[in-house]
Amino acid sequence: MDKNKVREFARNNIVTIMFVILCAVCMVFSGYSPSYVMYELFGRLSRNMFIVLSLIIPIVAGMGINFAITTGAMAAQISCLLVLEWGIPGIGGFALAALMTVPLSALFGWLIGKLYNKMKGQEMIGGLVIGFFANGLYQLLFLFIFDNIIPINNPNLTIKGSKGIANTMDLSREGGIASALDKLWRLPFHQAVLVFAAAIAVILVIGYARSHKRNAKKFGVQLVALAAVAVIAQLPPVKELFSMVNIPMVTFGVVALLCLFNVVIMRTKLGQQFRAVGQNGTVANASGINVDHVRILATIFSMVMAGWGQLIFVQNMGAFQTYGAHGQVGLYAGAAILVGGASVVRATNTQALVGCVLFHLMFILAPAAGKNLFGDAAIGEYFRVFLCYGVIAIALVMHAWSENARKKKASAQ
Amino acid sequence: MSKLKVKKSQIIACVLLVIAAIICGCVGMYGMSSRSSEKGGKILSNMRLQAILDTAGNGAVDAYVTAAKAEATAKVREEGGGMTEIREATAKAEEEALALAEKEGIGSVDLSEIDTLPLEDSLDVLAAAQKEYFDEEAAAQAVYIEEHADEVVSDGTDEAADESLDASAEGAADASAEDSAGDIAAEGDDMGSDMEMAEETVDLSGFEATPEMLALQEKVDEAYDNLCVEIKKVFPALTDDIMTALKPTITSTVAQQGDTFESQYDRAMEMSGMNPGISGTIMRQGKTLATTAVGLLIFALAVLFYTPLVKKLGIPRLVIGLFYIILCLMAFIYNLSLPGQISNTLVRLGMNGVLVLAMLPGIQCGISLNLGLPIGIIGGILGGLLCIEFGLSGWIGFLFAIAVGLAISAVTGCLYGMLLNRLKGSEMSVTTYVGYSIVSLMCIAWLVLPFKSKVMKWPLGNGLRTTIGLQTSYRHLLNDFLSFKIFGVTIPTGLLLFFALCCFLVWLFMRSKTGIAMSAAGANPRFAAATGINVDKMRIIGTMLSTMLGAVGIIVYAQSFGFIQLYQAPRQMGFLAASAILLGGATTSRARISHVIIGTFLFQGVLTLGMPVANAVVPQSTISEVFRIIISQGIILYALTKSGGDSRG
Repeated sequence: MDKNKVREFARNNIVTIMFVILCAVCMVFSGYSPSYVMYELFGRLSRNMFIVLSLIIPIVAGMGINFAITTGAMAAQISCLLVLEWGIPGIGGFALAALMTVPLSALFGWLIGKLYNKMKGQEMIGGLVIGFFANGLYQLLFLFIFDNIIPINNPNLTIKGSKGIANTMDLSREGGIASALDKLWRLPFHQAVLVFAAAIAVILVIGYARSHKRNAKKFGVQLVALAAVAVIAQLPPVKELFSMVNIPMVTFGVVALLCLFNVVIMRTKLGQQFRAVGQNGTVANASGINVDHVRILATIFSMVMAGWGQLIFVQNMGAFQTYGAHGQVGLYAGAAILVGGASVVRATNTQALVGCVLFHLMFILAPAAGKNLFGDAAIGEYFRVFLCYGVIAIALVMHAWSENARKKKASAQ
Repeated sequence: MSKLKVKKSQIIACVLLVIAAIICGCVGMYGMSSRSSEKGGKILSNMRLQAILDTAGNGAVDAYVTAAKAEATAKVREEGGGMTEIREATAKAEEEALALAEKEGIGSVDLSEIDTLPLEDSLDVLAAAQKEYFDEEAAAQAVYIEEHADEVVSDGTDEAADESLDASAEGAADASAEDSAGDIAAEGDDMGSDMEMAEETVDLSGFEATPEMLALQEKVDEAYDNLCVEIKKVFPALTDDIMTALKPTITSTVAQQGDTFESQYDRAMEMSGMNPGISGTIMRQGKTLATTAVGLLIFALAVLFYTPLVKKLGIPRLVIGLFYIILCLMAFIYNLSLPGQISNTLVRLGMNGVLVLAMLPGIQCGISLNLGLPIGIIGGILGGLLCIEFGLSGWIGFLFAIAVGLAISAVTGCLYGMLLNRLKGSEMSVTTYVGYSIVSLMCIAWLVLPFKSKVMKWPLGNGLRTTIGLQTSYRHLLNDFLSFKIFGVTIPTGLLLFFALCCFLVWLFMRSKTGIAMSAAGANPRFAAATGINVDKMRIIGTMLSTMLGAVGIIVYAQSFGFIQLYQAPRQMGFLAASAILLGGATTSRARISHVIIGTFLFQGVLTLGMPVANAVVPQSTISEVFRIIISQGIILYALTKSGGDSRG
């Protein structure tokens, strides 16, 4: 019985297990010091986690991985450009950009949701194509409409000696919004752990106080685990490991809020509808849910969050490639969530977070490992790209496989 | 007409368009005809004259000022002044001279005040002489380009290699940039922007004037001297030196190589600053207006027959077809060489045709759009690489590459088909990502495979080049086979024949017993299974065929393009082929040979024409690239929404 369980666990999480092993191997061969890796990892996590979390709702709603989140990223970049043009610096500019992203990406999400409804079952390839298509429109907008039809007065934003928006958008100039969110409140790792542990403890207590069936045992275990984590983080070797890490508290706080949001919304009526539509559209329809409407809502949620995620990413980097920064967003986020053990029909916060950690660990380690193993960093690069696509391909194949097996079983019965 | 159901609004719109077309056409025709009439000719020649006299006048003022300055300098020197005084004196003299020149009108002249007849005559002589010279030059250059066409090869290789080196370096930098902004930047992923045809330009620096040209040049010089004499009558202040210095300006004002009426007119207007009035503008825009009239007429027809057209062609084909017609008209307005564009379109039709054809068996056997086409393409590329590695060339090399490509892709296609049989219903997204991951896996392979040939390896470092020139093996083998010129259009006979052969073979196969069974399996798997067709086997056959055609397609593409492209290049080719066949009228579940041909022609036609037209409208822009992305992805998107998703699997 136990053996079977282990086997099933392994089969369900094959991608994650493979990635853990790969990361371990790369870690050994990369020659990086652990504290440097941690530093890099937390830097990447702070800018990439949010956007990965934005994929969860469409997966739950049965639309697979929403590769069209590139469009949400485009919305974020458009509002970013406008904020730079108006020269609103710091957190105010960031807040305004975040505010403007909402209507823009909601509009895109609404349109894309309508399109998705016309191609049920093909959302993933559709999302990919929508991403490419929107990229064409985006280029049209940035090369020929901005600065030609809509005047742009900030000379740093346009191509020198020609028309159109410059290749790189620098947010770190005066009036930019670089690190607007990150630099609000930074703490060393061990203190950050304390703060987050305290916050989680408060939330747990509130939840416990308000829940109807008080599961004291579970509550106690959770609190003890939390305390243990907080204490372990204060130990000298752990402190040493994370010595270079400086946590941008607000950014991670926002990520935590989004996790909470993902949990909370699933308990509301809307969340139940997402789930019902995801499990079986026909049944949901029969039980009086407006399936198309719910799917559009799911797409809009995902789009808006992706837009915010891209804003966080952009402010963290301090600059972005105007014509390329959005291109791979869907790919990387999709690969990350799949690495964490999610499938195209099931995804949770934990899977997204674990996947994000593993995926970016691999991103940091692969080139160095490739260089040390084969004497060529380019091999590591290509291997990394291969992993991105490969992970998605494997996840899709395995899903389709099990789905077909299930169908066959059902028809045999 | 009784069959046609035409709405009232349609008729009104149509009538309005026709009226607009008639007005445009009449005004345009009037403008065109007034070009050759005496009055029209007068406007242009007046402006040209004014432009030249302005130039000469400026020269005269310059001469006057210089003379005044020299005088002032001499005067100060005589008085024994130092450098500062000289400077002051010259500045003052310059000011005075300029004021005087303006007052006395040395530099400007009113056309009505002088006798322009001899000037005009000599100007006409000069224009005629120059035109003759430029015609001769163009002809001589064409001959030169033809003779030296082979040199392009090496130049092109270097350039392409450099470019791709940059691109790959960029990609690597982006990917490895932990510190810079490149963390999630694209890896040079511009939707196959590297797939543009390399422009074949011959370096003209080695071009020398022919004796005929020299003789004509003398004629031009003579005419210019005559003109000088006339101009000097108007501006006595001009010296011979100044006239020699002004020669390039004046001659280029009068005529330039490849001149048309429009460009002459624009130049003369700009140089003279004259406003030629409404009749002049009508004359200038005559051709544009006339062409617009034709366009409006076509548009009116489209509005009138909207319903049957949409029924027959579908909205996307109608839109793209109209777009193509607009592009043709615009090419005409901007005086782009039409034969050149047609030759280009034909070449592109042949070179992309087989790749697009590869979509057909996939669609017919029920795996929908085979976006995993890169799997087949990799097989073809391997065939081409082995051919270079073994030093084969010509037909033997080409056939060897095809044979190897077919062998490899048959195996991979079979495996791929078996995989797809387990994933019925979600083929498209899976195939895309399987194709992508295989392309990136092969990127590693290109770095480590033990190829020896110097043509293919980077001179420094590991691995194969991003673009490998085929001039030593089978470059343009099909393009040049039996090719001939007719009305300035080069027909790539071999290429088109090969494409036709492939189409014919597929057509034949589709009519064979297996082919019909395959189509049946794709159209209705349950019914097919009930009639005893092995659906899975048919799907494998279709996938294999599609993959193999992909291999042949890329070899044909490479021989026409002149290079084999490695690394990321094959990634988007599946998408381009898919959009072409969908443009031809195929759906994600049904396709015919005619769809392949029409789609490729339309798609490539729009691309070939789009680039020069876009460059004429907005110089130095990438707008055609942007439109290509929008068109090709938009058409796939449209087809996906029409496929309805759930209806399959």
